[in-house]
Amino acid sequence: MINLAQKDVKHTLGKFLVTAMGVGMLLGIVLIMIGVYRGMIVDAQVLLNDIKADLWVVQEDTLGPFAEASRIHDDFKDTLRVIDGIKSAEALTFQNIQLPQKPQPIRVVAMGFDPLGTIDPINPERIVQGHGLEREHYEIVVTDTTGFKLGDRIPLLRHSYKVVGVTHGTVSSGGDPLVYISLKDAQELQFSYSNNRIRNDRARGFKNSEVLMVNTVVAKVKPGYDVNAVAKEIKRFKYKSVYTAAEQKWILTKNLVKKASKQIGMFTGILIIVSTIIIALIIYTMTLEKMKEIAIMKLIGIPNSMIIKMIAQETLLLGFLAFIFANIFSHLIYGKFPKRVVLEIPDAWMLFIVVIIASILASLVGIKKVINADPSSAIGG
Amino acid sequence: MAEQAIKVENLVKHFGKDESLVRVIEGADFQVDKGELVALIAPSGAGKTTLLMMIGCVEEPTSGTIWLGDEKVYDNAWLTKETRKIRREKIGFIFQAHYLIPFLNVIENVTLVPQTNGVSKAEAEKDAMALLDYFDIADKAHSMSSQLSGGQNQRVAIARALANKPQIILADEPTAALDLTRSVSVVKMLKKIAIDQDVAIIMVTHDEAMLPLCDRILKIEDKKVVSQAVPENTKMI
Ligand SMILES: Nc1ncnc2c1ncn2[C@@H]1O[C@H](COP(=O)(O)OP(=O)(O)O)[C@@H](O)[C@H]1O
Ligand SMILES: [Mg+2]
Repeated sequence: MINLAQKDVKHTLGKFLVTAMGVGMLLGIVLIMIGVYRGMIVDAQVLLNDIKADLWVVQEDTLGPFAEASRIHDDFKDTLRVIDGIKSAEALTFQNIQLPQKPQPIRVVAMGFDPLGTIDPINPERIVQGHGLEREHYEIVVTDTTGFKLGDRIPLLRHSYKVVGVTHGTVSSGGDPLVYISLKDAQELQFSYSNNRIRNDRARGFKNSEVLMVNTVVAKVKPGYDVNAVAKEIKRFKYKSVYTAAEQKWILTKNLVKKASKQIGMFTGILIIVSTIIIALIIYTMTLEKMKEIAIMKLIGIPNSMIIKMIAQETLLLGFLAFIFANIFSHLIYGKFPKRVVLEIPDAWMLFIVVIIASILASLVGIKKVINADPSSAIGG
Repeated sequence: MAEQAIKVENLVKHFGKDESLVRVIEGADFQVDKGELVALIAPSGAGKTTLLMMIGCVEEPTSGTIWLGDEKVYDNAWLTKETRKIRREKIGFIFQAHYLIPFLNVIENVTLVPQTNGVSKAEAEKDAMALLDYFDIADKAHSMSSQLSGGQNQRVAIARALANKPQIILADEPTAALDLTRSVSVVKMLKKIAIDQDVAIIMVTHDEAMLPLCDRILKIEDKKVVSQAVPENTKMI
């Protein structure tokens, strides 16, 4: 038996492929959107996994330091250190800063920590050039996406910072490039004001006491101690919020990314609906273009089932090709996105099912047109 | 004794209703036998195409009866739900334009209906090649219709109409787009087919030059169908 769909597609192959490619790009964007979401979840955990802290102590009643602003005194690390079960504790700061880069300044998150302290948040496996921070002042470790090279000098506020190390793959919980500076430099950058403001404050008798604040104090727990029990202990007596590594991960991936997932889910949903409508429109016009032939086929006695099969097979083929193009397209461009895009095979399969359902729905409009076609219209006019 | 291929009794066709009612045929009675090539003539808009489409089970009549061969297909209503099955098994259609399917090549166009009727691909293609050979276009079997001339396409269209070995061929102005020589050759071909394959052919034509090649004339007059002999003085060209 002659396969009408195959013959028709072959007859208009170029047009069919271009159409499939167009729909494929649209579906590729759906894959990228999902990939952006997956990337956010991965990014959110990079820093957390590098720091390897057991406990995160932040300002009371906040979901700090990432999901909410948090400020606590940096000497709280000393308080923690004497608590039973704590092996080590260090203060950390996180702040958005602009690094002067050509042609445009680059926005990064700077993490401040004590280079001489007991917890080094830089994962040594990520250092591709140079080394971590070794001095208390004016050194900086940058991630490679910032474009700075080992030995570069970066002016920040009143000082010049020397790039002593370059890392690969370090990002803030929000996916921005991450740089490391010493805690003292970070506090100075975060809380020191312009000379004018300082003079003004002095004249009013203010003292700049904020310099001693940090965003969080992280701690490691001695082996043999229950992390949750130690956390509970700190919560009870010290009027702080304390999160275990697992809880912090939950805050970052579930709580923080949840909003983003709604946002991206909306986008993805709309894109899928738009794709369905576009496939339906394409099938509808493809059917309209064939109305004359369809009427002739009905006139000479070709049963509806054969004509419907042609429309349905063409629609499914269009959907399938578009799906293939979507995967090619998304794999070609995902690396060019500034933030991490993670393409996962299960997501592609999910899209495949959606595309097939969309194609079936879309073919219904063409099929309806076929059923209603009047065979005598073939010879009209 | 000639066998009846088409018999129509008291056939009526109206379009629309109330104020927009159009009475096209008001009680047609006629018969066409196997092996006969009959010309159907009438002024434009008189209902020739409509009559052909009713016999072809495409357009539903308003009332009356239609026999195709010894099967009664219409008796104030279709006697089968599957009028399309009757079309693809018993009838061949030819039109002014070739109406070939543009995405199928010549042999696919010719074998589409037989294959739909359950004839194997090999057998359908063998029969089709014989037909194409008969019409002298066998070398075009794998060409697309767009690569053929008007005359070649029309011959393919006739081959398609014959491919299902029909009992009846309904031809609606098949020569209107052809020059005189080609028209004559097409009508002669139809006459030969009628005799060779014992097929009844009704051919709508406006071309008086074609009439002498036909066996008989059916004319729509006053919304009825009358049968006439071919005028003597125009016989033979
Ligand atoms: N679908 C239709 N609805 C209403 N009127 C129609 C329809 N088809 C044909 N007619 C009318 O029927 C008459 C006969 O048409 P037709 O059979 O095409 O004429 P012919 O083929 O003899 O030129 C015309 O007056 C035409 O307007
Ligand atoms: Mg007509």
